[in-house]
Amino acid sequence: MSIFHKIREHITDVLYIWRQEMKQVIRDEGVLMFLVVVPLGYPLLYSWIYNNESVHEVPVVVVDQSHSALSRQFIRDCDATPDVEVKYYAEDLNEAQSLISRQIAKGIYLFPSDFATNIMRGEQGTVSVYCDMSLMLAYKAVYQTAVVESMRLGAGLNIKKAGNFSKREDAITAQPLAVDDVAMFNPSGGYGSCVLPAVLMLLLQQALALGIGMAAGTARERHRNGQLIPDDDPHYRGAYRIVWGKALCYGMIGAVAAAYLSMAVPRMFSFPQLADGWTLLLMLLPYTIASIFFGMTVSCLVRYRENVMLIMVFVSVPLLFLTGVSWPQSSIPGAWQGVSWLFPSTFGVRAFIRINSMGASFGQILPEIRILWIQAAAYLGMACLVYRHQFRLARKWSNRTE
Amino acid sequence: MKIISQIFNIALRELDILRKNRIYGFCMVVFPVVLVLFFTTMLDDGLPQDLPIGVVDHDNSATSRGLIRNLDAMQNSRVVYRFSSVTEARNAMQEGKVYAYLYIPSGMSEKLISGRQPKISYYYTMTCLSAGSMASKDMKTIGMLGSMAVGRAVLSAKGATDRQIRAALQPVSIDAHMIANPYGSYNYSLTTVFVPGILMLFMALLSAYAIGMELKFDTGKEWLALADGNIFVAIIGKYLVHALVFLLVIFLYQYYIFNVLHFPHLGGVWSIVRLTLLQVAASLGFGIFAFGLMPSLRMSMSISSLWFVLGISMCGSAFPVMGMDAPLQAMSWLFPLRHYWMLYQATVLNGFPVIDVWFHLVALVAFTLLPWMVLRKVKNAILNYVYIP
Repeated sequence: MSIFHKIREHITDVLYIWRQEMKQVIRDEGVLMFLVVVPLGYPLLYSWIYNNESVHEVPVVVVDQSHSALSRQFIRDCDATPDVEVKYYAEDLNEAQSLISRQIAKGIYLFPSDFATNIMRGEQGTVSVYCDMSLMLAYKAVYQTAVVESMRLGAGLNIKKAGNFSKREDAITAQPLAVDDVAMFNPSGGYGSCVLPAVLMLLLQQALALGIGMAAGTARERHRNGQLIPDDDPHYRGAYRIVWGKALCYGMIGAVAAAYLSMAVPRMFSFPQLADGWTLLLMLLPYTIASIFFGMTVSCLVRYRENVMLIMVFVSVPLLFLTGVSWPQSSIPGAWQGVSWLFPSTFGVRAFIRINSMGASFGQILPEIRILWIQAAAYLGMACLVYRHQFRLARKWSNRTE
Repeated sequence: MKIISQIFNIALRELDILRKNRIYGFCMVVFPVVLVLFFTTMLDDGLPQDLPIGVVDHDNSATSRGLIRNLDAMQNSRVVYRFSSVTEARNAMQEGKVYAYLYIPSGMSEKLISGRQPKISYYYTMTCLSAGSMASKDMKTIGMLGSMAVGRAVLSAKGATDRQIRAALQPVSIDAHMIANPYGSYNYSLTTVFVPGILMLFMALLSAYAIGMELKFDTGKEWLALADGNIFVAIIGKYLVHALVFLLVIFLYQYYIFNVLHFPHLGGVWSIVRLTLLQVAASLGFGIFAFGLMPSLRMSMSISSLWFVLGISMCGSAFPVMGMDAPLQAMSWLFPLRHYWMLYQATVLNGFPVIDVWFHLVALVAFTLLPWMVLRKVKNAILNYVYIP
C-alpha cells in the first residue's frame, strides 16, 4: 500500500467518523440539549436575570428622634438619591427592626435626639446606620448613600460658616483637594456587565464538555460490551482518526456556539463589547480547541453518561470563582491558582474579559493565549492517549468475544 | 408494624446500592467536602486584601508621596507599580496587572497650599466588582484625607483640640452597624449560599438518579415488591437513607462553619436544624417530582440540574431579586434555593422570628409534598416503562 493511499484512507475514515458523530449528536436528545439548547437558551436567561445591572431605590426605614430641620434635610437628600428610597418612618428602633425582619426594608437611619443640637453646638452630629448584611449590594447602597450625604451636609454647613464671597471660594472650602472618580470599563458598576462575559465563556466549555461526555456515554451504552469505540465499524480502526473525526464534529458545533456567545448575546443585551474581530478570533480559536480536547479527555473517564453531568455541574460554580471575576485573582490562594491552571476556562474567561470588556489588544492577552495553546496541545495529547487506551480495550473485548 | 419492617428492608437495600455505585459516595461525601474546603479557603480573607494598585505621580512632592504611602498602608490596597504616564498605567490595567491607579498631576501640592483646588484622579476597573469597589473605597478615603489635611493643619496651628478639629472638618458623622456581618466578609455571605445551593443540587440530582437507575437496570419491580406494591412506602424507605446521609453531611458542614470558623448565626441551633431538615426534604422532593413529571433518567436529571444551577442566580443572594424584572421576581418563587436562602438570612443569620418569613417555610414544605402528586406516575413508570438509551 503506497503512502498516498494510506493517507487517503486515513482522511476518508476521519471524514466518515465526523459524519457519524454528527448524526449521533442530532439523534440523541440528551446531547442535543447540552450542545444546542443550553448554549442557546441559558445565556439569554442569565442575561435577563442580570439585565437591570444594579439595584435602585433600596427601601430604608427612618427613625427620626431629632425632629430638626437638619435631620429632615438629610432624609430628603437620601430619598432623592437613585440608590435609596426612604419608605417608612418608625417611632423607635424596635419598630424599625420589625420592618427589617419582615423583609420590607433593608436598612435603618437613626437620628438621635441630640443630632441637630450637637451640630449647632459645634460638635459632631451622629447618624446611626443599621444595615441588613444579607444583601451586599443593598448594604452598599444604604451605607454609601448615607456617607455621601453626610459629607454633603457637612460641606454645606462649613460653607455657611466660612462666610465666603464667591462660588469658587465655596467650592474650595467644601473640597480643597478635588477628586475625580473614574470607574472604567463598566462605569455604572453593573452586575451583569461584570459577571456575564465570564458566564458566557464558561458556558462554552461546560456545554462542550457535557455534550461530548453525554455522547461518549451513549456510545458506551449502545455498545454490547460497554466500550467507547464501536468494533463493528471498519472505519473506527485507529485511535488518532477517531480523535480527529470527533474533534471536527465538535469543532463545528463549538465554532457556532462560540460565535453566538461572544458576539450575538452581548449585543442583544447591550453588554460591553469592545473586542476587535481578529483578536476575538485568535482568542476563541485556542479556547474552543482546548475545551473540545478537555471534554474528550474527561469523557473517557465516565462509565455512565449521567455521571459526566454530576461532575461538570459540580465544578461549574468553583470554576467561575477561579477565573477571578467575582473574587479578585490576586486574592485567590496559591493552591487554588494551581488547580485553576488545569481548566481552559480560567484563561479563556480572563482573556475574553480583557478584550471584550476592557478593549485589550492581542499583545496584552498574549500570556493567556500562550497558555491556551499549551492547554490545547496538552489535552490533545491526553485525548489521543486515553482514546488509544480505549481503542486497545475495545480490541481486547472484541477478540475475547470472537 | 409491617410497614416499618418494609421501610427498614428497603432502606437496607438502598444502603447496599449506595455502597456499590461509587458515584453516590462521590456526590454525597467527597464533592461536598471538596466544596466546603474550596469556598472556605478561597474566601478565607473575608475581603479582598492588598489588591495590586499603580500610581502615576507627576507631582513628586512630600504631599504626594504621603498620599501614596497612606494608600499603600490601606488594608485593601498595595501600591505595586509606579508608572511614568497614564497610558502606561491603563495598559497595565488592560494586561490585568493592576485593578486601579491613582494619578497625581504636577503642581498638586503647590496648588493645595495656595488654595487653588488641585485635582487628583483615580481610575479603577469595574470588570471585577469586588476588586473595583474595594480599590475605589480606599482611594476615596485617600482623597478625603488629602482634603482634610489642609484644614487640619490650619486648625491645629490656631490651637484647636482634636475633637474640635474633627467636628469642624466633619460636622456629620456616620456610625455604621453592620448587623450579623461586622467585617462585611464575603466568606459569610457567599459560602453560606453556594455550598447549600450546590448540595441541594446534588440532593435533587441524586434523588432523580436513584429512581432513574432502578428503571435503567430494571430493578424497580424488585424494589416495589419489597413494599408490596405500595409506592409511598417504597419511596419513604428509599429516600430515608439519602436523607440521613445528607443530613449528617450538612450538619458536619454546619458544625465546621459555625463552631470552627465562627460564622455569625444569631438564630441559634434550633433555627439551623429546622432549616436543614426543610432543605433536605424539599430538595429530595423536587428530584422525585422531576422524575415523576418526566420518567426518564436523563430528562429528569437534566431538568433538576438546569433548575438548581439557575436557582443559584435566582435566589437573589448576589444580585437581589428586587432588582430583577417583575416576571423574574414572580418566578423566583419556583426555586427551592430562594426560599432556603430567605429563611437562612432571616432566621439563622439575623435571628429574626420565623413567623415573619413563614411563607418561605410553607413553600419549602410544599416542595417536600410535590412527589405526592406524581406517586401514581412514578409507580406506573417503574412497572411499565422500558429504558431507552
